[in-house]
Amino acid sequence: MRNLLATEIYKLLKQSKTYYALGAIFLIELLVLIGAYYQGATIIDILLSNLKDSFFFEENLLNGNLLIYLILNTLWFHLPLILMIIISGMLTTEYKDNTIQTVMLQPVEKWKFILSKYIVAIFFTLLVVLLTAISSFILSYALFGKGDLIVYLGNLNFYKASDAQYRLQLAFIAGMGSMVFFSVASLTIAVLFKEATKTWIIAALFLIVTNLLLKFEVANVFYNEWFFPKLNNSWQYFFYEEIPWEIIYHNTLVLGLYTIAFLVAGVLIFNKRDIG
Amino acid sequence: MKQKLLFFIYLFVGLNFVIAQEIDKDLLLIKERLDSIQGFQAKMQLDVDISFINMPTKYADIYFEKGKAMQFESEDFIMVPKRGLDLSMQQLFKYPFITVNRGVEEVSGVQAKKINIIPTDKKADFAIATLWLDTSSKRIKKSEISTKKDGTFTVLMDYNDTEDILPKEVIISFEIEKIKLPIQYLAKNMEVDKKEMREMDVKSGKIILKINDYKIQ
Repeated sequence: MRNLLATEIYKLLKQSKTYYALGAIFLIELLVLIGAYYQGATIIDILLSNLKDSFFFEENLLNGNLLIYLILNTLWFHLPLILMIIISGMLTTEYKDNTIQTVMLQPVEKWKFILSKYIVAIFFTLLVVLLTAISSFILSYALFGKGDLIVYLGNLNFYKASDAQYRLQLAFIAGMGSMVFFSVASLTIAVLFKEATKTWIIAALFLIVTNLLLKFEVANVFYNEWFFPKLNNSWQYFFYEEIPWEIIYHNTLVLGLYTIAFLVAGVLIFNKRDIG
Repeated sequence: MKQKLLFFIYLFVGLNFVIAQEIDKDLLLIKERLDSIQGFQAKMQLDVDISFINMPTKYADIYFEKGKAMQFESEDFIMVPKRGLDLSMQQLFKYPFITVNRGVEEVSGVQAKKINIIPTDKKADFAIATLWLDTSSKRIKKSEISTKKDGTFTVLMDYNDTEDILPKEVIISFEIEKIKLPIQYLAKNMEVDKKEMREMDVKSGKIILKINDYKIQ
């Protein structure tokens, strides 16, 4: 199993699309920073428009913490999409190049082979989120400095710089759970569809539908508390004035169970199917 | 002819009465005390009590120099109310005005003299102001000012000692429109209570200022 893991890591690091994808993540970060540099003041003006008649504002809200928050919001779509492309590619490339048949001619158990891919995918996802977080903190603080964070979640919430930094760090950690879920789901989709283009389309569709379902407001306890699309926004809860820890723990735990279910399903399906 | 002459006499006497109407003596005493302040600096704690804003307590240093707007310095982001921080009432007394006595009312346990201030110069930025004067301590306890542009706001002041002219606590109350954004900004899955939004478009807000460490010049 250890050899399989080492091989998977080697393959992941050797394929060029891994680096293209990582480059894409940092490009998105830079675009967010450039966009904020030119348009950030306008966004804050819109947020504070109703208050301008009654208040003067001292100090700048366009600061590193707001920028990190904007980059954090790529967890909704950009980051999982790129992760799903890379992770599903770990298997679809093997089908495309027929290397999977070569591997299976070796004394390798199928379930161990696919499980090693899942394990590497999970660690790679955690590493990408960690790198995104570290780079966003370094770049944002270096270019825009520290300051209070303003977040609009129905109400206008202001957080002191130190509190904002703490909440942003926790949000990235909680976001790792969602990203791992999407990565594991994309590998399971790859197991089901084998072919790269089909897998990417289905994976993208899965992400879009999950995001749409997250927005739906349905008065149903199962839908709101147990259905996986509704559990993917735990990291956003860190920006409510009172952090709802119970909801965060519940969502993270249940989403973890869904992740395991997708993983087990992928391993079982792969194990049952003929290669080729 | 006689009737016309009488009309003009009454008109002249009436106008003369309005023009020559005296400004309340207690107010003049308070104004004199406030005018004697050339400037001050102090430390301020600011709390915002507006239903749709969650903001932690903020701290700032305030600087006032006679004839100038108050200045603020803070390491944090602070929202400073545009109205109600004129502790020396220089805006209120800037242009000529008349006063009308409205009797006595109790304000926070103090028997206060209630007067209206009506500006007689169009340049004044308020239409009418009501002041509640603590005549025994010669200071303003409460004010309600109807501005021409920024609506009406109320300022309630509390003091440390009977001698103090500058307050230790200022509560500024005003009306403010709830934020309505045309787009979802920075967040998804916002839990918006539409009924509440319809009913509570205009909300009352409060700013509570605690001021200490005055250094009066």
